Amino acid sequence: MTYTSFLKSECLVLWRRKYDIFNALLFFIMVVVLFPLGVNASPEFLAPAAGGIIWCAAVLAILMSIESMFKEDYSDGSLEQLVVSGLSLPLLVLIKISLQWVAVIFPLLVMMPLLSEMLYLSSGIFWVLVVTLIIGTPSLFLIGAIGSALTVSIKQGGVLLMLLILPFYLPVIIFATSAIQTAQSGLPYSGLLALLLAISLLFLVVSPFMTAISIKASVN
Amino acid sequence: MQSPAFLTISDLWIERGERVLCKGLNFNVSVGEIVRVLGDNGAGKSSLLKVIAGVIPSLEGCIYYFGQDITQDHSRLQQDTLYIGHLSGVKNMLTVEENLRWHCPDVTTDKLHSTLSILGLLPLLSTSIKSLSAGQVRRVALSRLWIQRKKLWLLDEPFVSLDAEGVAILESHMKQHVVAGGVVILTTHQALTSIHSRDIDLLS
Repeated sequence: MTYTSFLKSECLVLWRRKYDIFNALLFFIMVVVLFPLGVNASPEFLAPAAGGIIWCAAVLAILMSIESMFKEDYSDGSLEQLVVSGLSLPLLVLIKISLQWVAVIFPLLVMMPLLSEMLYLSSGIFWVLVVTLIIGTPSLFLIGAIGSALTVSIKQGGVLLMLLILPFYLPVIIFATSAIQTAQSGLPYSGLLALLLAISLLFLVVSPFMTAISIKASVN
Repeated sequence: MQSPAFLTISDLWIERGERVLCKGLNFNVSVGEIVRVLGDNGAGKSSLLKVIAGVIPSLEGCIYYFGQDITQDHSRLQQDTLYIGHLSGVKNMLTVEENLRWHCPDVTTDKLHSTLSILGLLPLLSTSIKSLSAGQVRRVALSRLWIQRKKLWLLDEPFVSLDAEGVAILESHMKQHVVAGGVVILTTHQALTSIHSRDIDLLS
């Protein structure tokens, strides 16, 4: 096994399982569409709430896709093969997480103009939203991968996974939505973006190692 | 001075859960040997292979590879090892060819085709693993033994779900491997018919 062959096989698996990602995205769209119907469809309500709605829906969709991240690899023994491959496990994990991120976030960003139009988000704020998603969501995947690897050997690990990783998601959601709100009230928001980026970078360093340790504990 | 053995296991203790499986296990493996690990169910045969492969850590004891202590860092041994466990390590979502190319990207098409024809898998080259039988999946996993050139084979119950013909093919391939200077460590409850092995009994 080499890093490139691992990358190729992961791409293929992602492509064959594209309906899982499609499912998560459909869920994302449904939350965003149903929210105005259920609460209030007026621009006065939606425009300020738009950032929060989109971010919460995105977090839920990411949680859905992250839960099964290592499930299949665990049950068919590929995870074991990664451990004994002699390659660096943190690096393999990082490749896997990055691919998953691209596969979920890229389609999500493609849909974003339509959704932000639906929620009466002005075009200036739209770009702030896109930036928060691009620099904020990596941390969600990196944190989620640790939890997913920890709970992969447990039968009903879903609930435990939520309990484990949701507390770490909260700061990301808070900083991302407050960046959007600050931008909407015309205040400088770059500090909040910097914080988001800092969280992502921190987990970019920490998460591959912690996930690798969790994987080794799970295949034990 | 005598040259160090291929693999030396010295005073190895293995723990699973709260149970201690191996207590101070000692043995040497030299080049060209087939070692069969025996023991009752739950005696720790699979665990022993996993410890050697570096999947799980040992409780105590050392493993030496050509006299070099690799207990802490298995990567040197892992580069020369092919471990096929209970779980085949074959991805359901991929086809037979994609699976093998994932494990060994540098295999030539000729080599791949000849291996698969030995194992009777050639017609299934681009069939998804999902639609194969258990025995066929096992054959796909085992075809790595033909394609990848590794010195040490760690095989956990390799004969499970293989038919008589498959067992014969695998046994003859193991024989060729040890003649060429390889080493096989396997666990099986089945008697080996055509090859001679050294047995190590794990007493429970």
